Order: sequence, then structure tokens, then C-alpha cells
Amino acid sequence: MTGELHFLTIAEAARLIERRELSPVELTGAYLARIAALDDQLHSFVTLTADLARSRAKAAEAEIVRDGPRGRLHGVPFCLKDIVETAGIRTTGQSKILADHVPAHDAVVAAKLHAAGGVLLGKTATWEFAHGGPSWDVLFPPAHNPWNTDHHPAGSSSGSGAAVAAGLAPATIGSDTGGSIRGPAAACGIAGLKPTYGLVSRRGVLPNCFSHDHVGPLAWTSEDVAILLSIVAGHDPQDPGSADVPDQDYTAGIGGGVAGKIVGVPWRWLEDEAPLKPETRAGFDAALAVFGDLGAEIRPIELPTLQAYNDAKKVIAMAELFSIHEKDLRTRPELFGASLRYRIIAGGLIRAEDYVQATRLRRDLALAMQQVLTAVDLILLPTGEPAGKLEPVPHSSLFTGASLTTPFNVGGNPALSVCSGFAANGMPLSLQIVGRLFDDAGVLRAGHAYEQATPWRGRRPDLHPAAADRAAE
Amino acid sequence: MPLEPATRDEIAVLARRAGLNLSAEHFDQLVDAYGHLEQMLGRIRRARSYADEPAHIFAPSKFQPGGDKR
Repeated sequence: MTGELHFLTIAEAARLIERRELSPVELTGAYLARIAALDDQLHSFVTLTADLARSRAKAAEAEIVRDGPRGRLHGVPFCLKDIVETAGIRTTGQSKILADHVPAHDAVVAAKLHAAGGVLLGKTATWEFAHGGPSWDVLFPPAHNPWNTDHHPAGSSSGSGAAVAAGLAPATIGSDTGGSIRGPAAACGIAGLKPTYGLVSRRGVLPNCFSHDHVGPLAWTSEDVAILLSIVAGHDPQDPGSADVPDQDYTAGIGGGVAGKIVGVPWRWLEDEAPLKPETRAGFDAALAVFGDLGAEIRPIELPTLQAYNDAKKVIAMAELFSIHEKDLRTRPELFGASLRYRIIAGGLIRAEDYVQATRLRRDLALAMQQVLTAVDLILLPTGEPAGKLEPVPHSSLFTGASLTTPFNVGGNPALSVCSGFAANGMPLSLQIVGRLFDDAGVLRAGHAYEQATPWRGRRPDLHPAAADRAAE
Repeated sequence: MPLEPATRDEIAVLARRAGLNLSAEHFDQLVDAYGHLEQMLGRIRRARSYADEPAHIFAPSKFQPGGDKR
């Protein structure tokens, strides 16, 4: 097998492996070589498990030769955000606090990917504890965006987004508490799903905010995300937030399209509360036109204010984050990066009454979201603006900005980000597709239909080894 | 229902009650962050009936040995 192996999708690689036209050893070697050549520009990996990857690839190859592949991830490499615990492999949360933390057990999602025959390449950069960043005063430097390395890949699953877009891995798992899967997916021009709350076990994933944490997949296409979700979703009785719903193959029916679907657009958010830049608005209008051409009906919808969703989530999150980190904040606050410390330390001053009032507001907001979704099948909106320069931002930006992703953490709804074109400066534009609770399949079907109808999956970042590396060759 | 912004002295008392013993630099960060938090708290306070339940309630079946069987 020759050609650009590193740009194969999971679905493509799986077909080639099944036909014995691609060796997992060869595929893994291609990714490890590309990581070695390019990741000094991206800093997407914080820990590389190259020897383990080669060993697992060999084992997978032997299994496939003997018995055939046991699924579409068998022999296919993946990486994990460095908040997903991995047995015997350092899991740091990008924090000096956990610089030497080597878990004894795999997180449930990691165990499921291993059981499916996936080949772990390593752990990817995150904002500190998936909340504070970008930061230059934590354990590792921040990741860069492969479409332009002067730009950021958003956060907090920043290394995961960058690695998939750059062709350093075809699959990864991130986490999303206010937009941390969808933001990096949008910034890096890939697909990323925040599943319905409780669909994927959080056990073994370092917490950010228990009541809003979602674990989910990122990959190049919606179909690949569906393959990964089929593996990692499932009830976990030991995760109190886990939903007891039947397992399913999220790729089944993914080609079903969106004809006849009713799509809602929260125009007041996009025109009054968080007005879009002209280029983003034009891209969004074009995406809506694609859905119209595919047979969907577009309608305006009215939801509570963005600010209400953001306020409820942030008050709850600050209190929960403080409770998680209180011992270290009291005894060694200097070990936290300034960004994370700023964003959580006031959580210790929140009164119990205010936490409860925030959860009462969350109930109102979640009910309003589900009510709107009785009248429409999907909600469409941009995930955010294209990624800007990688540079320090005011720590307070988390409190002052109006996130377009956070409302769906408050509601718990499935929300997918897909690439919807490119800005004039070459940075990806994004489309967010939101569905009813547990209709993750419908959201992925819509993402797949949009990707099939548009040319955006044919364009990749143009990365080359740095000049010094080329001179040494 | 916004309240009067807390003074630095009041925040210092709240910080001590939270068990925080901060350097001057970290205390300045806390004061700044608390200003943003106060604005959010002011916006989430609203008149409610006694029966307005929170989103997060206790579901005993979640803690059944062997998991939720319902």
C-alpha cells in the first residue's frame, strides 16, 4: 500500500485492512513517522507511546491474519486527550499537579478502544484540567493549529483536534464541558461530537464539572465519528451520570439524508446576542442553503438567552471545579497555571444557595431546549468564529464571552461540529448540528449528508517538516 | 437582583472561610474573578416558587447494586 496513508479515514483504512491491502504495522508506522516529522510545529502530543503502538499493531495484524478484523477500529491508530486515564501511561491533564500521575487503570473509553483493537499512539495536549488555557505556564506548551501554526486550535481538546486535522492520527477522544470537543473540531476543520449527556462513560476521565462533562469522539468525518461512538457509547453502572439506553451502530442509516427534516435556527442569538462576523454569517447562510437543497425545511426558533445558559453553566462549573481542586488550591495554588487558577478560585466563595439557584435555572433552560426540539428535528448554528492567533487571552474571557456551544451542555443534547468551508485567510469555518436527546444518530446523519454534499473534506492542511529537519535529512 | 459588590475586605473574609491562604498576587486574581462571578450570580437570582426543583436531583436507582435496572 502506498500513498498518503496518514490521510485515510477510519472507514477507508478499515476497508483496506479487511481486504488485507493495508497492514496495521504499516499504517501505524506511517503515523509515527509523520508525528516525528511534524509535531514539533504543532505540540499536539504530550506523550508518545511509539513502542506500545508498534507492539499493538503487530498483535492486531496477527489477529487479523488469523481471524479477520473484529471491527472497524481493529488495527487502526488513535490518540487520547491527556485527561483520559491510561493504565501505566502518564496522564497529566497538562498540569504540574499531575506531572507524575501514572494511573493503574484505563478509563472506560480507553479500555473500549483497546478492546476494539485500536492502536494507541499517545496522549494529546489539553488546556489544564480541560479548563484553563491557552497557557504557557503549565506542564506542556499549548498546541498549534495545523492550518496555520500561528493560530490556536481552540480548547480544551486542542491537541486532539490538531492531531486529526494534521494527519497525525485518524481518531481521538476528547471531552466537552462547555464546547471543548466542538471548539477544537471547528478550529481545526474536522468533525467532533459532544454526545448526549450520559451516553459515553466518564469513568476514568479527569473531571472538569461533573454535571456538564461529556466524553466524545473527534475524527475527519462524521462517519468516522459514528464508528468511534459505536465503540465507546454504552451504559456504565459505575458512572452515576450514565444513561441506560440500548447500544447501537451509529453508522447504520448514516446515509439516510435530511430530506423532510425540520431545522431550527436561533437567529436572535446569532444576530443580537453574539453577532456573527460577515464571513462567518456568509458561510452559515451557504450551509443553510445546502440543507435546503437536501430537502430540509429551515425555520426560526426562539430559545432563552445565550447569557442565561452561560451564566447557569459557569456558576455550577466554578463551584464543582473548586470542590474538585480545593485541596491543591488551599495548599499549593502556585502549581496551577494562572488561567485555570483565575477561572476556578472564586468558586470557593459561591454560597450553597447560589449553586442551587443555578441548578434550578439549568432545569428551566434544559426544559426550554427540549420543548423547542419537539417542533424541530435539528438546530443549526455556527460552532464559533474561525480560530485566531495563538496568544495569551485575558483569563476573564471565559466569563465575558457568549459561547454558542455551552447551551447544549446545559441541555445535554447531542451536538456535532463539522467543517463548513474556509475563511479568506484559510482557517476553517464551522457548522454545529444539534439534535434531540439520544438522537445522536440523527445528528451524525445530518453531518454526513452535509459533508457528502460539500467539497470541504477534500482539503487538508499543507504541513512540511521544519527547515532544520529537512537540512538534517 | 444584583447585590452590592463585595469589598476587598469582604472577599478576604470569604476567602479565609473557604480555606484559601493566598499570596497578594493570587488574592488580586481572586478579587478580579469574583467581580465577574458576582455579575453572573446577580443574573441567576430570580423569584421562584417553593416547588421549583433543581436540575440535579437524587435518583436512588442509580445506586442500586448492579446498576439501574429500570
